[in-house]
Amino acid sequence: MNFLICLETGLREIVAHKFRSVLSMLGIVLGVSSLIATMALTAGIEKGTRAFMEQVGGLEFVKIQNKDVSDELFEFWNLSPGRTIVDAQAILASVPGIAHASPEMRLGARVANMTHGQRLAVVGVWPGNFHVNRHELAAGRFITPLDLDRATHVAVIGDEVARQFWPHLSKEEILGKVLTINQSPFEVVGIFIRYEREQDKRMRKIRAEQAKKHAGSERRRWDPFRGKNLSVLIPLPTMFYEFKSGLFPNDSVESVRIEELALQVKDLSRFREILDQVRRTLTMTHRGVDDFELETREEWFDRMEQSISATRLSGGLIAVISLVVGAIGIANIMLASISERVREIGIRLAVGAKGRDIFFQILIESVSVAFLGGLVGIVAGTVLIQVLIVIAPSENPPLMTLNSMLISVVFSILAGILSGLYPALRASKLDPIEALRYE
Amino acid sequence: MALVKLQDVRKTYRLGDQEFHALKGVSLQIEEGDFLAIIGPSGSGKSTLMHLLGCLDVPSAGQMEICGYDLSRASSDTLAGVRNRELGFVFQAFNLLPKLDVVRNIELPLIYSGISRKERRARAIEVANAVGLGDRLANRPTQLSGGQCQRVAIGRALVNNPRILFADEPTGNLDSTTGEMILEMFRQLNRDGRTVVLVTHDPEVAAISKRVIEIRDGLICREYAP
Repeated sequence: MNFLICLETGLREIVAHKFRSVLSMLGIVLGVSSLIATMALTAGIEKGTRAFMEQVGGLEFVKIQNKDVSDELFEFWNLSPGRTIVDAQAILASVPGIAHASPEMRLGARVANMTHGQRLAVVGVWPGNFHVNRHELAAGRFITPLDLDRATHVAVIGDEVARQFWPHLSKEEILGKVLTINQSPFEVVGIFIRYEREQDKRMRKIRAEQAKKHAGSERRRWDPFRGKNLSVLIPLPTMFYEFKSGLFPNDSVESVRIEELALQVKDLSRFREILDQVRRTLTMTHRGVDDFELETREEWFDRMEQSISATRLSGGLIAVISLVVGAIGIANIMLASISERVREIGIRLAVGAKGRDIFFQILIESVSVAFLGGLVGIVAGTVLIQVLIVIAPSENPPLMTLNSMLISVVFSILAGILSGLYPALRASKLDPIEALRYE
Repeated sequence: MALVKLQDVRKTYRLGDQEFHALKGVSLQIEEGDFLAIIGPSGSGKSTLMHLLGCLDVPSAGQMEICGYDLSRASSDTLAGVRNRELGFVFQAFNLLPKLDVVRNIELPLIYSGISRKERRARAIEVANAVGLGDRLANRPTQLSGGQCQRVAIGRALVNNPRILFADEPTGNLDSTTGEMILEMFRQLNRDGRTVVLVTHDPEVAAISKRVIEIRDGLICREYAP
């Protein structure tokens, strides 16, 4: 008897005992649907977290911070010029592993146009800021090396700034308009896209839908991109000449301290090595005074990764337990059905079925039940996820992956094989005479 | 040529420490076209003999050759193959599968000979017509009378065109008129050249055969032609 006939007999048996099959399927259905749901939930959390990590600059992002010098070196502290753009220039010149450097000079200033004015943090930047902070332009251009050379009066602004100053204009229309920063006019040449986390984007859409029904008050939430959306960026030399020069007679662009210095590492596989080179270069420019430290995101990201894998593990564990329970359910019902079907097996043996025919018939039955249960479970899991989305919109949308479906199908088939083996073995070992006599 | 050759066949069952000798040396030959009845009271060993002849079991000692196969020490797979190709069974309790309809019940042996689905159906329908159930193809056993059930069973026994047809008390669960009709079917099958072996405790039933063997205490005590 070939495999196809076994399959046909097994499937017909399932159809003939619908209620029993559905009962034994139930365990697998629940197991697979919870597997699908937990995998989708963790995949959603994972995707949200990764996207966030990417948006804040990724692992490549390294910040150089000021540090208090130790007591022994305190006398030498004022030998160090502190963080200046010379540091940035030196790093770019001597550490090939650094892709971009972004020094920042900040100024709290009154920013205004004809109709609106408010205090904002204005930042003087280099073109490298665009890459280091992962900016994306919605319209216009970013600050170029030519802007640095000529110290032009141009500004690139964030989405929120654009909305507040020109609420009725499109981003293209805003380009070329003039903002004054402490009464000094600047032409807007570029506007960033709106930065938001995936979850915020979703919440905004949900709120937009709800707003149609009833206008609710928008709840203020912590937004990691608020600063980015409120940015007003101008060329760093312009910042110096316009707002920071003349305070002391000897100040120059090179000697004035900068408020931020961030770097983007080119090659993560040589991360440590590159950081060491940066450290050596900075020791040089700081004249041997150890008044700086490198801040990386490694630990932070490691913690995120750990929490992702912990979530995944616990979700997987729950699902595996329910699958095992499902498999035991199938085994139990198969065993019960075999003692109920001893006579049938006897008849099949009497008309010439071999032990292995019976074995495969029972095995295929349980595998088919499990497989069907798996398919139903995938559907049920998908429905479950949709229900979850509706009744509890979470920050990270659940994400169905093909992988999770494949894993579910493989697991349910495995469960079917495991739960079918023992009943099938028992059925195939039945003695035809005993089986026929069985009442 | 003899279809069945039994030479000093013994069968011993073990029940705990005790040995029970069900057959104590039976020798028997059945020729092609024979109509043999085996009679005897319960506990005489006639069921054991029937199981051996029907290739459901192997003897503990002695030689057994059925349809040219030496089955004295055959494996259960070999026995299953012989049952499938060479033998047909009709039981007292019909032994039909309740969840399957008439056609599917009849085609059951063909499934295990690996015959294609289409041919299986065709042959099952042909046999169903031959046993007079042409209009009941889609019915399940629960929807049939006892006589009809037994005809399905006969159809199932005949569908693989066996060389020997075994019937174990085929009229035991039927009323006398229906039983008579079923017995007439066996007689007709034998007239058409089929070898039939009938097991019964009822001498009246045995009387339709050509040759009667009476078993008592595990031995053939008498052989006669009715």
